[in-house]
Amino acid sequence: MATLLWLQGGACSGNTMSFLNAEEPSACDLVTDFGIDVLWHPSLGVELGDQVKFLLADIVSGKRPLDIFVFEGTVIRAPHGTGRYNMFADRPMKDWVAELSGVANAVVALGDCACWGGIPATAPNPSDSVGLQYLKKNRGGYLGSNFKSKWGLPVINIPGCPCHPDWVTQILVAIASGRANDIALDELQRPQTFFKTFTQTGCTRVQFYEYKQHTHEFGQGTRTGCLFYEFGCRGPMTHSPCNRILWNRQSSKTRAGMPCTGCTEPEFPFHDLMPGTVFKTQKIAGVIPKDHQTGTGTLSYMAHAVAARIAAPQWTKEDMFVV
Amino acid sequence: MATVAAPTKMRISPLGRVEGDLDLHIEVRDGVVTDAWTEASMFRGFEIILKGKDPQAGLIVTPRICGICGGSHLYKACYALDTAWRTHVPQNATLIRNIAQACETLQSIPRWFYALFAIDLTNKNYAKTKEYDEVVKRFSPFVGTGYEKGVTLSGKPVEVYAIFGGQWPHSSFMIPGGVMCAPNLADVTRSIAILDYWKREWLEKAWLGCSIDRWMENKTWDDIWAWAEENESQHNSDCGLFLRFSKAIGLDTFGYGCGTFLATGTYFQPELYERPTIDGRNAALINRAGVYDGERFHDFDHLNVRESTAHSFYQGDTYLHPWEGRTDPIDPAEGHKQGKYSWAKSPRYEVPGKGPMPFEAGPLARQVNAGRQGAAKHQDQDPLFLDAVKKVGPSVLVRVMARMHEACKYYKLAQKWLSELQLHDNFYTKPVEHLSGKGFGSTEAARGSLSDWIVIENGRIENYQVVTPTAWNIGPRDAHNVHGPMEQSFIGSPIHDPTDPVEMGHVARSYDSCLVCTVHAYDGKTGKELARFRIGEMG
Repeated sequence: MATLLWLQGGACSGNTMSFLNAEEPSACDLVTDFGIDVLWHPSLGVELGDQVKFLLADIVSGKRPLDIFVFEGTVIRAPHGTGRYNMFADRPMKDWVAELSGVANAVVALGDCACWGGIPATAPNPSDSVGLQYLKKNRGGYLGSNFKSKWGLPVINIPGCPCHPDWVTQILVAIASGRANDIALDELQRPQTFFKTFTQTGCTRVQFYEYKQHTHEFGQGTRTGCLFYEFGCRGPMTHSPCNRILWNRQSSKTRAGMPCTGCTEPEFPFHDLMPGTVFKTQKIAGVIPKDHQTGTGTLSYMAHAVAARIAAPQWTKEDMFVV
Repeated sequence: MATVAAPTKMRISPLGRVEGDLDLHIEVRDGVVTDAWTEASMFRGFEIILKGKDPQAGLIVTPRICGICGGSHLYKACYALDTAWRTHVPQNATLIRNIAQACETLQSIPRWFYALFAIDLTNKNYAKTKEYDEVVKRFSPFVGTGYEKGVTLSGKPVEVYAIFGGQWPHSSFMIPGGVMCAPNLADVTRSIAILDYWKREWLEKAWLGCSIDRWMENKTWDDIWAWAEENESQHNSDCGLFLRFSKAIGLDTFGYGCGTFLATGTYFQPELYERPTIDGRNAALINRAGVYDGERFHDFDHLNVRESTAHSFYQGDTYLHPWEGRTDPIDPAEGHKQGKYSWAKSPRYEVPGKGPMPFEAGPLARQVNAGRQGAAKHQDQDPLFLDAVKKVGPSVLVRVMARMHEACKYYKLAQKWLSELQLHDNFYTKPVEHLSGKGFGSTEAARGSLSDWIVIENGRIENYQVVTPTAWNIGPRDAHNVHGPMEQSFIGSPIHDPTDPVEMGHVARSYDSCLVCTVHAYDGKTGKELARFRIGEMG
């Protein structure tokens, strides 16, 4: 049995919507079978008005123990550090976040916005948005580098725009079943069990990648080739299990022909979406990709590319995913 | 001591269940709401973020405005670019965009009904009705039999979205000139099977208790009531129960609103929209655009859309077409001094001969416009909800039923489009990325008309304005002090139990506004706020 409170700041509700796609366990199973007591959720709570008011008061005062505080969306600080761009119950949401984080046993940042600011924090960051413990790559964020929840854990970051329902439900089940300390976090405080592998791990296009065969065009070309070379796919440099734990039980963006945008990494959206950067691989001298697979350099990339192209069998130049 | 009807002391905060934040101030006299102010209380500034960015940035950014209808954001953002860049869109791509848009909406219908709307029906204020026990059994959150089935199965239609788009929510797989995917045979057959499963298990077995074809025979509001009594299966279905219960608790008697309805329409007939243009849009639509001013219909023309900032937290009192629109936020503390009270702007439509008017957007608005005579062969014509609005007016119940009615229609359309895909033809035509241009893209998100206006100059976004269905519905008063549609809906609505004003929840959620709704109530006689949420009291 564990109590859970879920609030949304500068959010789009995408993580909640994604969460509702869950199966095994489903959102309902979490409550009925795994004993997660959802004290309140902005989309799912049945209480309203005074009931929520008293509930929040009881949580902050410690009368009602809070095991898991889930926050979705950015912490909005504008204008001038007042937080008045995001009021919740007549009070800047940021003030609620500070108090609730202080009393929760574990604090979970759900989705890019809560982890590192996400799209709202893209330049010029009009809402002065920040993640719970990061702003983009910089540790600190709203709660500060030294923040630890009552169980002694830093904020658990479950990024993604949105995050996959399984990444959430499995972590919630782990916490609810007393395994919070088994959740090994990486240097960005993401659960390693999900974020050690790359988005490319399990991608159906990986053979094209290995032989350096690029997709020629969207739509027609997505039956063959790899999206990394021309279309800005960040699969080789992004940590996520998108191609191990499929989306909506069916597919992934890269499988469906959409380049990975790197949305589990703090820099998303990359290059601040400046002209010429959307769905286009950034290159040096118009030829060599600026960013390449984690751990490789330009020289090793080039050496590998030459060998791979020479070695490429004929089938890598043809449609693999045929009608 | 004589009992005096004391002014109702209440304040609901928050009212919850959707995304963003809305404060609602209401004035109450003798148990009836006499005035209302809807205040959107969260601002992220997406239009500011988009300025100066890559022309295609809207494909990534705008879905993140709202994760509930992110696919709709993508759909219209894409058409804004298609019209600005004058692209060619292969028929296959139009079909896939249509299918994806429809699947997002099919997901939203049960998810919204059970998770966001119907759980209020279990409110203890209704315990005396004879259907109450059954309503609690079906619609209670997480454990209700209808809730669990409806919410869990709501994930099915977006599995189809994921087959074409990789994931839902937040794919960006629609791009100017088409779509990124090129499905194979199994993608299509699996999609057909998933949708069929969803239709059988939820729509027919749980919701209707009959075939969708039987439901589609209903052409008038009276037909619906006759349908509910036709047999045991329909009478006891979730829909049958909801209808009976709504009557018992009076959901057909309040929440009327402005009585004017706007739809920008959605879904394109593939062969009529290979060259998307703004001028050719209305004729190519399958679900028509239209403007019903309460008396007559008008063709929709995007040039008649304006946004007022008279009562919104933006600089000045502007009234601009979105191509000229500005988003210059001010501190709400300053705004309050100027009489401003919301982050939403107030969209208005300039009705020929009548001037600016507020309009309800959403499923009911679509279905009212579907009742207009003169549809082309490829277009939807459906008299049911025009009849309902003329006969009984746009209540909470009518609004909800319009939403549910669409499930059958969009299911049939999605299956038809799946059957029309030509797997050996193209899904994309590479466009010329013109350095300048103006675009307009629009669709019908589950909850209403959603539009983008883009101005591209020197290869970057010069201006980007988004008008959401929520803005149409919850926008504040305009410069002439005319209330927004939802504000009008609250006025006249009853509050039976001031400690638990569930009626306000019904009204707000019947629009499915994408806002967390908090209500501040004022005493209508003294103007004094009745109860405050005082932080100092905590702990």
